[in-house]
Amino acid sequence: MTVNELIAEAQRSTDELYLKCIRCGKCLSVCPVYRETRIETLSPRGKVALYRAVGEDDLEVGEVYAGRLYTCLMCEACREVCPSGVELDVILNQVRADLAHGGLMPDSLRRLDETIVTAGNISGEDNKQRLGWTANLETVPTGLDHSGQAEVAYFVGCVSSLFPASYSIPQSLVQIFEKAGVNYALIGDDERCCGYPLLLNGEVERAREVARHNVEAVLATGATKVVMACPSCYHMWKHTYPELLDDGDLDDLEILHETEIMASLAREGRLRFRPWPITVAYHDSCDLGRKSGIFEAPRDVLQAIPGLELVEMADHHENSLCCGGGGNLETYNRELAWALPRRRLKQAQDVGTKYIVVSCQQCKRTLSGAAHREKIRVRVMDLAEVVLRQAEGEANA
Amino acid sequence: MLDPKLSAIIGELKSIVGEQYVLTSPEDLVAYSYDATFTSARPNLVVLPANTQEVSEVLQVANREVIPVVPRGMGTGLAAGSIPFGGGMVLPLTRMDRLLDIDYDNMMATAEAGIITSDLADAVAREGYFYPPDPSSDHYSTLGGNVACNAGGAHCLKYGITGHYVMALEVVLADGRIMRVGGKATKNVTGYDLVHLLVGSEGTLAVITEVTVRFIAAPKAERTAEAVFPKLVEAGKTINAVLASGVGPTMLEIMDETAIKSVEDYLHLGLPLDVEAILIIQTDGDEADAVRGIETVVEICRQNGAREVRVAVTLEESEELWQARHSISGSLGRIRPNKLGEDITVPHSAVPEMIARIKEVSAIRNLPIVIFGHAGDGNLHPNILFDKRDAEECERVELAVGDLFRAAVEVGGSLSGEHGVGVLKRPYLEMAMGSVAVEMQNRIKRAWDPKNILNPGKIFLLT
Repeated sequence: MTVNELIAEAQRSTDELYLKCIRCGKCLSVCPVYRETRIETLSPRGKVALYRAVGEDDLEVGEVYAGRLYTCLMCEACREVCPSGVELDVILNQVRADLAHGGLMPDSLRRLDETIVTAGNISGEDNKQRLGWTANLETVPTGLDHSGQAEVAYFVGCVSSLFPASYSIPQSLVQIFEKAGVNYALIGDDERCCGYPLLLNGEVERAREVARHNVEAVLATGATKVVMACPSCYHMWKHTYPELLDDGDLDDLEILHETEIMASLAREGRLRFRPWPITVAYHDSCDLGRKSGIFEAPRDVLQAIPGLELVEMADHHENSLCCGGGGNLETYNRELAWALPRRRLKQAQDVGTKYIVVSCQQCKRTLSGAAHREKIRVRVMDLAEVVLRQAEGEANA
Repeated sequence: MLDPKLSAIIGELKSIVGEQYVLTSPEDLVAYSYDATFTSARPNLVVLPANTQEVSEVLQVANREVIPVVPRGMGTGLAAGSIPFGGGMVLPLTRMDRLLDIDYDNMMATAEAGIITSDLADAVAREGYFYPPDPSSDHYSTLGGNVACNAGGAHCLKYGITGHYVMALEVVLADGRIMRVGGKATKNVTGYDLVHLLVGSEGTLAVITEVTVRFIAAPKAERTAEAVFPKLVEAGKTINAVLASGVGPTMLEIMDETAIKSVEDYLHLGLPLDVEAILIIQTDGDEADAVRGIETVVEICRQNGAREVRVAVTLEESEELWQARHSISGSLGRIRPNKLGEDITVPHSAVPEMIARIKEVSAIRNLPIVIFGHAGDGNLHPNILFDKRDAEECERVELAVGDLFRAAVEVGGSLSGEHGVGVLKRPYLEMAMGSVAVEMQNRIKRAWDPKNILNPGKIFLLT
């Protein structure tokens, strides 16, 4: 069988995925890529049409086809509004896996995959540098010396570990843990990429390998809980690892996002806040909100800060607008990915705030990068940064 | 493979709109082959202009070479009006999406044709104004497309359709000349009313590039009622009684038992499955008007046999009531893979009879037909559900469509209230309008587009 035949065969076998599309066009109203480009081929409806044309032997699979189907944030906004129940994410996972096997993954994404496999992280740096962010903290984080007695393992993630602009997120979170007396562990260079970028590129087996490694590394700390600040790592651990690893290793591990742990610390009175009279908008990241259903924990934390007024932008909760940082799009088409955050920044300005609070290092990087480039006066902070800024008391390190 | 005539002009078109905005890959041609109907046909190329000047230059080339040009907004039409059945060039106006001016003194807004309708409506709403035409696709269709098809929507019962709001147009003629018609004067009988000849012309007379619409002060309050009727006939009596009461509802929508079942199956809203019709009725005005109006409506519903009437007070409650109505069309894909949504329009007193006749057609042709629509203005959307891959079933769909149109004309109605004729209703145009009216339209088309390059074959075939 040729690649084309293989892919067409696979797509015929999943024809119920595309037959549901009645081409109403509702997805065009929410797709960030379509709203920016206004090109039908890049819209969710267009992608389903291409997939269908291949399944019906009406279109050859080639580089252009691959390119159109990789031009997606995988934000799932289309799935949320689709009245027919078309699951574009399921279609694209299938297509990307087929394209990867057929040798049609775009080069930039193939290089990303190779980097992850060889270096263990997305940046390609020596994985031993994963604790670089701890170097300029005033006190050494207690989590570095946990001697197998920790309650919570903190899985930092590639971006926060290796991109200096994101260091302040793990730095804030460990200081919050110390203030609140959380017994935590850092796993340092034993951590590998969570596997999400591999999965987005269609590399299921490679994703399974890193998943197994990471679960073993966390279990070795003796922790019964694992926490991530990165929503993509969280979504992988919480929803995909159990599917990839069917050996029950995850059964006794509670998987938490930073927003959940901070919300419970605030609720239990282990974190108390100084007033901050300010108006902020909370930006739901796709992986944490729409895909994982965590909307209220971060809002509860913000509302526990006296004087802080929380406002909602035009698109919020399930209908939140992707920052532009999803789906490996930035790796594949940086020009397009960089144009996307403008709409979100404008939505913040429209509701009269200069502050967007996120709980995702990728949203922070994408939105603040765009604000800087476009000279838009909106400041973007991670929830951990806000909490550390307003938390009372000293770290009892 | 491109036709040699087209290959020769690709370079010329690229020099007009830019290399990346002339699309010829099979992938792009697939994506511009369809609208929101079940039909499709691939163009030979797609050209995406950025401004009126580029549209003009592209049309000069197309007219010289006699290449069909199919103008397109967001491809959400329901009559196959923007599908390039004869090949040629699809001309999406989507890159031309700027809001050019909001003139609050005259209460008019001017925008490029490719603006998304709700973007314009939201912009005026921020200042307390209201642009009423609200096709259910208003978040995913363009203003230019709405004008070209004279789109309606639920609010049209009280506030009128798109054409009632269009004040001025900038269009490009088939030969590339740019023409401005209309203006901001609210009374203007200078010459033929070319603005309203172009409204609803479905891209057959000119390419619309800029639109000026008027808007109005937003009503201060709204109330929505949902009334459940065990018997369809009683819902029909209620429609007539509400319209005669002087309340002036903004919307009066009907869902029949098939639509209720389809939505309930999709959303599990707790809709009753043992009734023949639900009416959703909205009133507006200042707070006192809206409340008084809805009280009258509730009274009329009860007198005419409604089993249950709910009134929404908050915006959230109102949205909950409308959710069912707004979700019908989309819910249909869960039943059968294809749907043919018709748009017949009848005198409002004939709504119950028309629904009964649709049910007969459904039984005779053995096809599921879901019925809902704007009962207050007699505009019904019977949706025939089928599977395009079943040839025998498709033949029955064809026959059912003819049955529906004949029935609509027999009860004093017509083919389309708001979707337009496109290609799907073309065979029935003469039945609805008569041969003289079709002949006059032929002559108008020839005068505007002598080489028949603009959306050829739509509405009627040239004779």
